[in-house]
Amino acid sequence: MNTSLMFLEILVALAGLGILVGDLWTPDKHKKKLGYGAAAFLGILFLISFQVQVGNVKYAFGGMYILDSLAIFFKRVFLLAGGVVMLMAVEFTPKIKRGVSEFYALLLFALAGMMIAASAYDFSLLFVTLELITITFYILASYLRSETASLEAGVKYLILGALSSAVLVFGIALLFGSTSALSFLEITETLGQSSGSLASNPLAIAGAVLVFAGLAFKLAIFPFQFWAPDVYQGAPSPVTAFLAVGSKAAGMVLVLRVLFQALPSITLNWSAFLATLAIFTILYGNLAAIPQKNLKRMLGYSSIAQAGYLMMGIVAMSSAGASAILFYLVGYAVTVLSAFLTLTLCVNAIGSSEIKSLSGLMDRSPLLASTMILAMVSLAGIPPLVGFFGKFMLIQSVVESAPAGWGCLVVAAIIGVVASLYYYLGVVRAIIWDKSPNTELEKIQISTPSQALLYAGIFMMIYLGFFQNQVVEAAQNAASVFNF
Amino acid sequence: MIQFEHYLIVSALLFCIGLLGVLTRKNLLVLYMSLELMLNAANLALVAASRFHDNLNGQIMVFFIITVAAAEVSVGLALIVALFRRRQTTNVQDLSELKL
Repeated sequence: MNTSLMFLEILVALAGLGILVGDLWTPDKHKKKLGYGAAAFLGILFLISFQVQVGNVKYAFGGMYILDSLAIFFKRVFLLAGGVVMLMAVEFTPKIKRGVSEFYALLLFALAGMMIAASAYDFSLLFVTLELITITFYILASYLRSETASLEAGVKYLILGALSSAVLVFGIALLFGSTSALSFLEITETLGQSSGSLASNPLAIAGAVLVFAGLAFKLAIFPFQFWAPDVYQGAPSPVTAFLAVGSKAAGMVLVLRVLFQALPSITLNWSAFLATLAIFTILYGNLAAIPQKNLKRMLGYSSIAQAGYLMMGIVAMSSAGASAILFYLVGYAVTVLSAFLTLTLCVNAIGSSEIKSLSGLMDRSPLLASTMILAMVSLAGIPPLVGFFGKFMLIQSVVESAPAGWGCLVVAAIIGVVASLYYYLGVVRAIIWDKSPNTELEKIQISTPSQALLYAGIFMMIYLGFFQNQVVEAAQNAASVFNF
Repeated sequence: MIQFEHYLIVSALLFCIGLLGVLTRKNLLVLYMSLELMLNAANLALVAASRFHDNLNGQIMVFFIITVAAAEVSVGLALIVALFRRRQTTNVQDLSELKL
């Protein structure tokens, strides 16, 4: 047994328990300190994670848990996102009436689930970690239960999330029925044997489709995207940020592992099917985002579109595609976390997440305004910011490997990018040019940690736009675990 | 002689009944029962596969599913109760505050 491999996850889960215990001795006015402590702890763990050596692949729990360069790459993304979301949660604390420490603790448990998901190498572990993430998010999404919007978001996520888990579980059952194995390693071997006769077994194919459908829900891929806008709008802002970054990245790593490590003999023929889904996801997300008036809801549609772009890397079915996905996820995480941190601070000060309420933000807080503008421009994919380079890598990977129907996919992606300019720049217009009805608005005060984080976000969005080498190398190294 | 296929057909039927319930019913509690039916369809298939392939992993998986389903139900019912207290309804059609 190699339990020491998962010390990062164990420490995160222990920190969550520690907060629950520490809550007993902490008076109400000092509860924020628990959150700051947790955020600092996650920062330290993020630094420690660079000390983990992954020369050769290691397994724990009888091959259920794998530690390879892909797993550690995603663990770093999750730790970074978790730390930023924790600071957002601290900023959000005044809105939570009861159970502040539980909010922090639940974020940590969801984070632990995501980190284990990055290492899942067996369908039973995949299911349990996915449920750990999802069930925690049911609670987090409806955390402001005195507000109907938050409750409604939670209930919608609950019903559709439970539906997707049921589909996923039935898919796993069918795969188990046809291959008699749950471990990715054994399934690959069984499906690869006997000259591929099992890989064309309808039972196995149906199982693979159902498992993919269950995971596509987490990524908000068409036709499983309908929950995203409602839940994004209703959930508390830090939770929405964590859903957008963490839950999506966790879904992505599981999709990558299932498609390319567990079931490659089935899914490598799927590129036309996946390309169709990608086209619909990109077009739906971008076109439906255009008329939105609420910033959080607009970001919900935008996250659907981003999932579509990420799908392009899967369609490419090459290591270039996989590394493009990983780079894109890092850039996406930096951009979306900056946007949501700004949004959380703005909502605290303004009390609304409507796009038009951002008018006059330039005068009230130049720092918030410029972070939001840069984040929107980066999401839209305008050079030289990080979002541009990520989209460029994804499109390039598709063009290089030229799967069936790649022309349509690239055209759809470009139409999507052009359409997205309209709604992203609509936010920029509201911030810079729209005049606020009441002209004399006070300045927005920002706490020091948040200020530091905003500056870091601005720096990273610009820096990664110019100097991508380190992250691209890390992504290529992580993507090398797939054999194409 | 009852074969694996027979169990599979029953579980596929259960799954479809559950799915139909989720798609057509309006009451949250009934929706939730349908979801449980879908999970149990998977359980039946797993146990049957486990028996016919002589591989106990499937039954272990069923224990995990039962446990997770219990956790999901406890959170779900709490949410539905909170919603009912707030809105005096368990009808999905009344969940219409979030829109454009």
